[in-house]
Amino acid sequence: MNYVELHARSAFSFLRGASLPESLAAEAARRQLPALALCDRDGVYGAVRLYMAAREAGFRPLVGCEVTMEDASVVPILVASREGYRRLCALLTTAHLRAPKGEGRVSWRELGEDNAGLIALTGDEEGPVRQRWRARGAAAAAEAGDRLADIFGRDRLFVEVQRHLLPEEDAENEFLVDWARASRLPLLATNGVLQATPDAGGVLDVFTCLRSHVTLDAAGRRLAPNRERHLKDARTMAALFADLPEAVRNTERLAERLQFTLADFGYRFPDYHGVPAGETQESYLRQMTYLGARGRYGALTDPVRRQLERELDLIGRLGFSGYFLIVWDLCEFARQRKILVQGRGSAANSAVCYSLGITAVDPIKSQLLFERFLSEGRADWPDIDLDLPSAERREEVIQEVYRRYGRQGAAMTANVITFRGRSAMREVGKVFGLPDDVIDRFSRLFHHGDFPSTLDFREQLKMAGIADGHPRLPALLETCCQVRGLPRHLGQHSGGMVLSAGNLSQFVPLENARMPERSVLQWDKTDCEDMRMVKIDLLGLGMMAVLQDALEICAQRGRPVDLAQLPQDDPATFKMIQEADTIGMFQIESRAQIATLPRMKPVTFYDLAVEVAIIRPGPIHGNAVNPYLARRAGREPVTYPDERAKPILERTLGVILFQEQILRLAMEVGGFTAAEADEFRRAIGFTRSQERLDKMKVKFAAAMKRNGVRDEAADFIIKSIASFALYGFPESHAISFALIAYASAWLKTHRPAEFYAALLNCQPMGFYSPATLVQDARRHGIKTLPACVQFSDAACRVDSDDVIRLGIASVHGLRAGAVTGMLAARQGRPFASLADFLQRTDFNPAERRALAGSGALNALAGHRRAALWNVEAVPGGDDLFRCAVAESAPEASPLQKMSHLERLQADYIHMSLTTGAHPMKLLRSKLPELRPAAELKDGRTGERVKIGGAVITRQRPGTAKGVCFITLEDETGFANAIVWPKLFEKARLVITLEPALIITGRLQNEEGVIHVIAEKITGLPNVGMPEQTSHDFR
Amino acid sequence: MKVERLAPKALATPSELQTEGRTGGSPPHLLFAVLQVENFALHALIRSDPALAARPVAVIAGEGRKAEVTEVSPEAAGVMPGLAVTLAMARCPGIILRTRDPAAEVEAHRLLLAAAFTLSPRVEFTGVGCCTVDLQGVDPVRTEAQMRRSLAELARAGLAARIGAGETPLLAAYAARKAEPVLIVTDAREFLRPLPLAFAAPLPGHADILRNWGLKTLGDLTALSKAEVGLRLGAEGVSLWERAAGESARVLRLVEPVKTFVAEWIYEPPVESIEPLFFRLRRFAERLALELRGAGFAAEKLGLTLRLEDETDYRREFCLPEPGVDVDLWLRVLHAHLETVRTAARVAGVRLGATPTRPAQKQDGLFDTGLRDPAAFWENLARLAALVGDDRVGTPLPADTHEPDAFTLERPPETVPAPASQPVHPPRGHALRRFRPPWPARVLCVDERPVGLESESAGGTVRTARGPWRGCGNWWKPGGWAVEIWQVELAEGGIYQLARTAEGWRVEGMLD
Repeated sequence: MNYVELHARSAFSFLRGASLPESLAAEAARRQLPALALCDRDGVYGAVRLYMAAREAGFRPLVGCEVTMEDASVVPILVASREGYRRLCALLTTAHLRAPKGEGRVSWRELGEDNAGLIALTGDEEGPVRQRWRARGAAAAAEAGDRLADIFGRDRLFVEVQRHLLPEEDAENEFLVDWARASRLPLLATNGVLQATPDAGGVLDVFTCLRSHVTLDAAGRRLAPNRERHLKDARTMAALFADLPEAVRNTERLAERLQFTLADFGYRFPDYHGVPAGETQESYLRQMTYLGARGRYGALTDPVRRQLERELDLIGRLGFSGYFLIVWDLCEFARQRKILVQGRGSAANSAVCYSLGITAVDPIKSQLLFERFLSEGRADWPDIDLDLPSAERREEVIQEVYRRYGRQGAAMTANVITFRGRSAMREVGKVFGLPDDVIDRFSRLFHHGDFPSTLDFREQLKMAGIADGHPRLPALLETCCQVRGLPRHLGQHSGGMVLSAGNLSQFVPLENARMPERSVLQWDKTDCEDMRMVKIDLLGLGMMAVLQDALEICAQRGRPVDLAQLPQDDPATFKMIQEADTIGMFQIESRAQIATLPRMKPVTFYDLAVEVAIIRPGPIHGNAVNPYLARRAGREPVTYPDERAKPILERTLGVILFQEQILRLAMEVGGFTAAEADEFRRAIGFTRSQERLDKMKVKFAAAMKRNGVRDEAADFIIKSIASFALYGFPESHAISFALIAYASAWLKTHRPAEFYAALLNCQPMGFYSPATLVQDARRHGIKTLPACVQFSDAACRVDSDDVIRLGIASVHGLRAGAVTGMLAARQGRPFASLADFLQRTDFNPAERRALAGSGALNALAGHRRAALWNVEAVPGGDDLFRCAVAESAPEASPLQKMSHLERLQADYIHMSLTTGAHPMKLLRSKLPELRPAAELKDGRTGERVKIGGAVITRQRPGTAKGVCFITLEDETGFANAIVWPKLFEKARLVITLEPALIITGRLQNEEGVIHVIAEKITGLPNVGMPEQTSHDFR
Repeated sequence: MKVERLAPKALATPSELQTEGRTGGSPPHLLFAVLQVENFALHALIRSDPALAARPVAVIAGEGRKAEVTEVSPEAAGVMPGLAVTLAMARCPGIILRTRDPAAEVEAHRLLLAAAFTLSPRVEFTGVGCCTVDLQGVDPVRTEAQMRRSLAELARAGLAARIGAGETPLLAAYAARKAEPVLIVTDAREFLRPLPLAFAAPLPGHADILRNWGLKTLGDLTALSKAEVGLRLGAEGVSLWERAAGESARVLRLVEPVKTFVAEWIYEPPVESIEPLFFRLRRFAERLALELRGAGFAAEKLGLTLRLEDETDYRREFCLPEPGVDVDLWLRVLHAHLETVRTAARVAGVRLGATPTRPAQKQDGLFDTGLRDPAAFWENLARLAALVGDDRVGTPLPADTHEPDAFTLERPPETVPAPASQPVHPPRGHALRRFRPPWPARVLCVDERPVGLESESAGGTVRTARGPWRGCGNWWKPGGWAVEIWQVELAEGGIYQLARTAEGWRVEGMLD
């Protein structure tokens, strides 16, 4: 007898299931189940993952869902047909969109109205029948069952019986069997699966506690009574239901009726509706492409025409014309609104995209491979990523998409938030009843969850205060490991939007996002790609906002800059880059980039693209960085694994740096077709299936052997590709980013005042705090004037080529409305006095104090203390006497002016920066033994030095095997330190918590790259200096 | 109770007083004194735990990320109040972090109060680590000498206190914070001017404003016009200004002198040796002696009770050779006795009482109850508890767990509650008569089903078997359980419930 499990929940029921769909699939395959229905709670969140895993494992993945009803009972529903799937998605979407996130409920009326193609089960202990039986007895239970029978009819309702080896279930099942027989309804055996295997039972209990906000000790009977709710095979189920064989037989019969799988869920991308009469989408795309191409290329040469024709032909045959037109139209919308937009990623390999103005890279000139973007027979569909200025500008474009396609026609892709190291420990620890201080100590010790630890988990726990012999340690360790990677809740992807022909909600349920006016679909980016749903990534890029702002300031000052016309080989710009003077520049400002630039010494635009791509986990994992730099410096000969690889790797001196190179190696050395090559690339980049990767590796190795590639060359190629590809860039993407990086570098070189002002206006972004940016500006001869209510705008402004004025908004805690009101009042008539200012503005007492404390009222009050004295004399709110007091002349302040140190502290309190000297300058005389950062370049390698300053970055990248990099800032610049893992673990708390450090160590000064190898680290003595913020990451 | 009052006397002339620790040269007005222990919570902890002495210790408050250091010992270099706990750990790796210990603080407060009562019978418990004493009418010369004696006694008892005295309670409080260890304020104006502004305890919001104004001392604030400060900071600002000028006067809320002389401590964990016991008894003796003396009594008897871990008490009363408050004598008596004592269980608590020469008054407690004869009821319960153990008396209730036969005991209520309504589906099936303890058994299985049973009181061939039912729980801690239950009917008759656990089979009971 066969058995099909038709009621299983995965961890995508969010704290109601303990196993990933892939684990369920693996177990179902091991137990030789011919099909498995996934019924996650209120959604089809895990359906794609089960579908993909089932395709590999070879069983039929059926779609279902546990629907929460208005009375909190839960009805399991199985999808029999595409129509049923459409209705289920619509039902869930309606329920989710009208309720706050996570509280969607379906009404009985809605379930009755629209259920064709759906089959219902009576459910488990949360189902309406058993829930009523337990609470109110047999008659009430029968009544609930009859209602379900009325809704679905007797042919589409199955009475679910489960046996979990519990003494109390016999009576319940007796009732269900009697009622089913009396009502002539079929019985269906299920195991109500909540976990793939019994050993995941602990996770389920932990999840139950998290849901109920109790500890395991206090959970009592909320916990599972045993571990029987796992996948069972046909033999076990037949034995369990030996007295009800028809209940088991019916599983197979019902599974046969469930014809629907996600293979035919019917998604189609929408047509472009702006096609003029008499044109088709294809002809209109052609027309617009050629129109744009003439603007881009001028006269069209044969190679350009050939490439455009080749691409248009393929786009038309694959049915993507509408997609290109929709994206083009969106870019046009952005341009009309004067919003900077630039395509990134593989779209930059397309001449059509370049002609349409979607991307800014000429793929023909850059010799980019079109097949990386689109090719016939490819498994996945292309997606176009658009970079937009972050914040409001991007939101304008997103809301335009919703306006055009409706809340049910477009949605953001989901982002599955999973339990990770620290969050897993924090949540599991709480449930295990660990004291708060232990959990907190763990979080503090291993905060910046992004700092991977060189200690194993047991050691970490020990440091947090859980001794080796702790009675709960073994269970805690095991559970934390099991929980890691399981979904916690659903968020939204930063910018991926999916559109569809007709309502998107008929293909996948939609929900409200946490952000207002946004809907999110129940699948993540990878799921959408797997289901061949076309998405457009509308990504917010801080640097795009900076460029936009800088260009606007340049234009306002009568020195407009056209990004498209920037000279690509400007020596001054490259000099600055080569000297690693790159604070604030896009992609090349990080510590790692700064450490590489003096060795790389980029001299061309393409070098910059390589620089952007090379400091990435891919090339670092693939050991490509040092060979490339050595070959570039002539210290190592340029070699190729095979002569056929030479034209492919020539531009990158024989090392693999770009995804396109993988494709071309696969095609030209392995003899793969473009589609096969792309499948190979995807398999390497696909983290969910090692099996899939291994298969492709074998296939590629065999193909290379057939093509006569030597074994060792083949091994080298495969090894290089495998270690690199997971994190690699497409070349086109690197070039797109290099364009932005170059633009930022050019602006910093030639329009520094505009560039710094824009950078300050777009904070937070980038690697460095505003305090650091202001100090960097000072070192570049740009003076930053403080915020002032008489002279400042809301944002930072350029007063002259070497002077910028901080905006009033730089002062913390001011309401935007109050600032706007003040500017409007000032525009009408400048403030004559502090009394006049206080009378005509609407700042509250805290805001007035902030303005006075920051020095923004100095122009009216003389000095900060005088301002602080006088603003307190104004009653707050709508006090009747406010005007009367304000009208009287402010009293001369009896208070002393602030000292230098007090002004510095007030600057940091109110603005987190100072326009005056760096705090370290004040400390210097007290710490004469510290070597200023700017003097390190004069030191010898091996010399012992002591450096000190504010910590501005702490970095412990996964690729660095536990090494931590720290950047300190003093009044002369930056000093970088390297901390080996042993010292890091010894001084972990000092490193991660102290805002300013003193580091003693050996200097390393080679090829213009300067580091201090740390030997001793202590906190900088606290002498009332303000704290700077740091950027901690991996 | 007889309270010896200090005789009213005219204020001493300057020549009669020692000038050490005194501000200004004008005659003292010893109207109020304040005894203060800085970092009181920390001192109370260290006083209560000898292991903390001379080590880097910090008292912390707040939970999770908000936890911060509130008081810190001088040994913890680089750590100061207000520092985040993790940063404190970073700066001083060996630091011992403790939260406040209410029991230790109560004990230290009683000691402080006892010392205050040695100065005058009019004492206010002002706040944490602080007592104010009304000295009106006392002899200033004798009192100043007594202050120093009391401080020395407190120091011997592990509490480093200071005393300030002045015309108002506020001045005395300020003086106590600056005293080393005694300070008598004679020129209030000069004294107040350099004091930190925090002494006047501004509201947090006002403290920020004043800091922004650059004011650091009480003198800085009083240099400003009171009216202008009032205009800006309102009525509280005026009050603050007055506090800064030392103008604030108030009536003390006096506390009653102690009437019973008892000290008690619970050990967690219980102790096995005499050292910690004796350390605690010394602390008790120091406090009780001071209390007795402050109240004008002497002890004629000492009562010692050791509360043992097995819930029994060891009691002993010692008649002192003559009434007195000689701590060393008491300790010798106690030590001599304790060296000979052998208890059956570890000591979980200790109580020391001193019988004063005058009988203490006792106030009857009030209670009401629904029971007809509560005294008899509780007496009977106590007898039962004595017979079977305190944890074995009460009403058995099913525990909130899936574990079979798990129950908790609820202490009997004073009134009998109404019966709960019956569940819709009460457990069905035969009643199970549980065997306590269950019988160990051997069970023969075929295809994992029982076919034969052998145990001390029942056995034979299994005719029918129902099951298995499985359960498990407590997997996250030692004592996790997993059980498989069967119900079997023997060929010879009788239906039994069997359970299989990791320890093997057992017969749990018989079904009716």
